Amino acid sequence: MIQMHAFYAFLVVGGLLVLIFIYVAASTRHSREIDFHAAYAVRKKFFFVLLALILVGFGLTLGKMPYPQENQVPDKVVFVVGKQFSFGVSDSPITNDQEYEAATYAAPVELPVGALVEFRVTSFDVNHGFSVYSPNGDLLGQTQAMPGYVNRLRLRFTQPGRYNVFCLELCGMGHHRMRGVFYVK
Amino acid sequence: MELTTDVTNLWSEGDLNKFRRMTLIWGATVLLLLPILASLGYFMRMFQSNFFPHMRPEWFYAVLTLHSLGMVGTWFVGGMAGVSYLLTQYTHPSLAISKLNYWGTLVGVLLLVACTLGGLFGTGWYFLFPLPLYSQGVWQPWATVTFFVALAVLGLCWTIWTLDLLRAIAQRYSLKAALGLNYLLGKPGPDVPPLVLISTVSLIVSFAGFVAAVIVIVLFGVDALGYAIDPLLMKNLTFFFGHILVNITMYLGVAMVYELLPSYAGRPWKTNRVVAIAWDAVLFLILFAFFHHLYMDFAQPRWVQTFGQICSYFLAVPAGVVSIFGCLALVYASKMKWTLASVLFFLGIMGWGVGGIAAVIDSTVEVNFHFHNTLWVPAHFHTYYLMGVVLIILGFIDHLGLEVSKLQESPPRTKAIITLLLLGGYGFLSMFYWAGAHSIPRRYAVYPNELAQGTLYARVAFGFITVLLCGILLYLWETGKRCIKAFSA
Repeated sequence: MIQMHAFYAFLVVGGLLVLIFIYVAASTRHSREIDFHAAYAVRKKFFFVLLALILVGFGLTLGKMPYPQENQVPDKVVFVVGKQFSFGVSDSPITNDQEYEAATYAAPVELPVGALVEFRVTSFDVNHGFSVYSPNGDLLGQTQAMPGYVNRLRLRFTQPGRYNVFCLELCGMGHHRMRGVFYVK
Repeated sequence: MELTTDVTNLWSEGDLNKFRRMTLIWGATVLLLLPILASLGYFMRMFQSNFFPHMRPEWFYAVLTLHSLGMVGTWFVGGMAGVSYLLTQYTHPSLAISKLNYWGTLVGVLLLVACTLGGLFGTGWYFLFPLPLYSQGVWQPWATVTFFVALAVLGLCWTIWTLDLLRAIAQRYSLKAALGLNYLLGKPGPDVPPLVLISTVSLIVSFAGFVAAVIVIVLFGVDALGYAIDPLLMKNLTFFFGHILVNITMYLGVAMVYELLPSYAGRPWKTNRVVAIAWDAVLFLILFAFFHHLYMDFAQPRWVQTFGQICSYFLAVPAGVVSIFGCLALVYASKMKWTLASVLFFLGIMGWGVGGIAAVIDSTVEVNFHFHNTLWVPAHFHTYYLMGVVLIILGFIDHLGLEVSKLQESPPRTKAIITLLLLGGYGFLSMFYWAGAHSIPRRYAVYPNELAQGTLYARVAFGFITVLLCGILLYLWETGKRCIKAFSA
């Protein structure tokens, strides 16, 4: 899970920084003159190390952005509309309030295991956050539901089960109870 | 090189005393607001702990709005007041404008209290278009209007303050010199203290942010008149303004540390070519880093998202290589005088660094796909706010109180304050980080059954906030005494 990798990376790097601060604070017990040219040399090395880390970071991540790739064709398209305070999720396009109401009361959409699914997400009122949670409760991915725009979120589900959709953009008093659901079989 | 004004003629003793007194009033107001606004955060974590099962969630969202706007505003004015005072050594900021801002800020805050606690206006600090116009009957039109009037009053006052400080700097240094261009080009020029350089960069950027805020407010009005406004444009403008305001507050705190920490370490911390390059780079990068707030808006052009990540990553270079490294080099093996103020400065820079690491991780598009609007976000901004700039400003107020009152501090109580702030602060933050890594959403009044562990994390956080509040109260007792004596001196 990428979240835990990020968490542990933060603990290691953040912990290292805290240790450096403790070391520097402790060094003041035995004060002495320092050679600032030596400090500048260390800073120069630090600059190049940080620059290298940043470039490695770009190399590892910029190619993995979650945006749709035009040369890839989804196996299945699902239409999503957010409206205070529910998500309408449907196999067919949702173009008006009646279709939205019907989608919120219809049986949950079922998706095939392993298929590349494209969610076409928009909103009929304010901004919402369309976020997909796995049966284990992990946030698999998300996109914004913004009025006037259709955001295309592509996900491939390898695990069968019930997937919850929660709203991740504050949208009013019912924000925390705004949800949707679909199944992968 | 000759400067445009002789600093010795800038202030009479009486005028300087008046300015110092005004700064103490700002400091006392910040100290008064701190426990009140922190209690609102305490209330929110209690709400998420299900301690108030019968209370309507509208209260949570209204308190969230007041807490976030209140905290951001309080530390921004705290930073501005502190920097203004320190700038009196080099320039002549207007006392009248500081006073105008004090009363303007007070009016703005009262209006915010009225529309949130009185009118349940609950859109969060960012009032994301068009949510204020879709209240579902929770808040009335008067609350929406009051909210925007409050923003307009605050925005107008703070823009005037920003321009006045820039005016004061420009009267002594040319803008070119204040931005350290002489250092950059290797040409002779006046010595520009880091305080002046960082303040100039910060003030120029904050002015740009306030202009964006004005445009947002105007466009809300245009939409209310029936003309359709693009929500993506509004979101870009809103986060341009919001990202800048929060970051500039941090930089104002850093400027204070550049100015004051050398007096404790017994070593100079001056502007040189590297420092000038670093802060001028910040001036550019900060204007575009805000794009990382819109990664999940897939309609945004892909090159914009990529540019957002590049700028966000590169912002770590001037912060880490120049300011944080500079702070460490300044203190390393020095004859450091450790007092409450200097410890808070040092820890504040550490908090900036720790929070910055978490922020850079989250500014990776691939990671943000899983972290956006989870509790990881308040985790990192509370780290560089609460354990960063807040500690620095508390350090500044203590420094000023001590300087004027000459009332010495008690080492055991200083140790107790630091211990409680560190234990309570980082303990409280750890629950945000842990919950964020476990996909718990932010801004939820109540967690759904599937994410019920969020309630448990909120309860643990409640315990740590209790410790943190004890630290804050002990700090207020210690520093409050010095401020009262300083004020009556």
